[in-house]
Amino acid sequence: MDEFRWDFSVVFEYQANLYRGLGVTFELSIIIILASMVGGIIIGAGRYSKNRLFNWPATAYIELFRNTPVLIQIVWFYYAFPVLIGIQMEGFYAALIGIGLNMIAYSADIVRGGIQSIEKGQWEAAKAIGMNYFSVMRRVILPQALRRMIPPFTSRTVEAVKATSLASTIAVAELLYEGQVLANTVYRPFELYTAIAVLYFFATYPLVLFSYWLERRLAIDSEMRL
Amino acid sequence: MSEIILKVESLHKYFGDHHVLRGIDMEVRRGQTVCMIGSSGSGKSTFLRCINFMEIPSAGRLTIHGQVVGQETGELEGAPVYDYRENELVRVRTKVGMVFQQFNLFPHMKVQQNVMEGLVTVLKMDKEEAVSRARANLDKVGLLVKADQYPSRLSGGEQQRVAIARALAMEPNVILFDEVTSSLDPETVGEVLLSMRDLSNESMTMIVVTHELGFAYHVADEVLFLYEGLIHERGSPDEVLKNPQAERTKGFLAGFTDFYF
Repeated sequence: MDEFRWDFSVVFEYQANLYRGLGVTFELSIIIILASMVGGIIIGAGRYSKNRLFNWPATAYIELFRNTPVLIQIVWFYYAFPVLIGIQMEGFYAALIGIGLNMIAYSADIVRGGIQSIEKGQWEAAKAIGMNYFSVMRRVILPQALRRMIPPFTSRTVEAVKATSLASTIAVAELLYEGQVLANTVYRPFELYTAIAVLYFFATYPLVLFSYWLERRLAIDSEMRL
Repeated sequence: MSEIILKVESLHKYFGDHHVLRGIDMEVRRGQTVCMIGSSGSGKSTFLRCINFMEIPSAGRLTIHGQVVGQETGELEGAPVYDYRENELVRVRTKVGMVFQQFNLFPHMKVQQNVMEGLVTVLKMDKEEAVSRARANLDKVGLLVKADQYPSRLSGGEQQRVAIARALAMEPNVILFDEVTSSLDPETVGEVLLSMRDLSNESMTMIVVTHELGFAYHVADEVLFLYEGLIHERGSPDEVLKNPQAERTKGFLAGFTDFYF
């Protein structure tokens, strides 16, 4: 029986394909992360609101997207949604909408949780010096809540980057898809999947490092733990 | 006699079915220090929190500086019920300061910023003026040296004095003190009480909910004993604390004399 020999030369030979895929992965990830920040704050504020007009739709949205698999959301936006609105949808956009809406739902819940974690006394102290709701939020609650949102938001961000790999199922030419195509062409799946894993690691780990830096940077006081 | 700053008539407060305040009448004149005593659950804190609308009264009329707060809409237990608009309450709160049991300083702001915050954000004062007023008030409570520290670096007593400076800086008509020494280490209670006595001597108008009967005795112009949501006995410190007439008051005070030395 022949012994298996690792041969990473194919990886280097076809590295341009992998980088092209990585570029699409980055594109999807960046748009999704930005959307989830903006969308998360808006939907999160709705979720936090006591007004039913805002609270109910926000809650329904969050629970719908949190409790269904993101893979199904991608596939649904690729196949079903175009039928519903009567236009063709490129895989890239279907993946963007599917993963993006999912990520916004999680971010919204992180925003709500962050705001809710601030002690009631902070609200009272701010109100007691005559601040209105908006000022209390802007000056007292959010600056403290945002710090607490960084760790969970970082985890979700890393999840989102990895979730973009699901776009390969609808033939979006992101990193995993490019790797799969190569693997089927050159018959070196072990080496290629290993290389892909390494590339994903180098795509996400800087995010984690950045969040550590940000947490330290925003720490109220160097000796005070968040 | 000086003018009436705050007048409370038939104040009622329900939490669900629980009738916490059952018709309280009182008034405070400019420069007076009124101390409220009573056991836990007697409604002292709730009463205080109704005055600056941290809690919305279920019924009763509040008159601050001659102006009735809110729009009368009905009646409950023979007391008028009012409807309050949020901007009106925000305005009232700039005139009625409050110091809390848990200090509640803003942990992400340095001490000086804590004291300036309301001046800049609420009163729209320009920054230089706000800084100098904040520093003057920090000086008053003896904490100007801590202006550039974060609250977490201060002792409980110091944090509470900053909270007092924060309330003072707004130059309110009256300041409410809600058991402000109850969560302090015993050794820092004194410094906070001294700051409060100084304020009282400078004719700040104050309503003080407290378990520090010694403070009430020496500083208060009037002492109110609350029992089950009603003012059970009121009078000068000598009358209420030394010669209480009501059985409930005597019973409450007896709890303090067991360990008198």
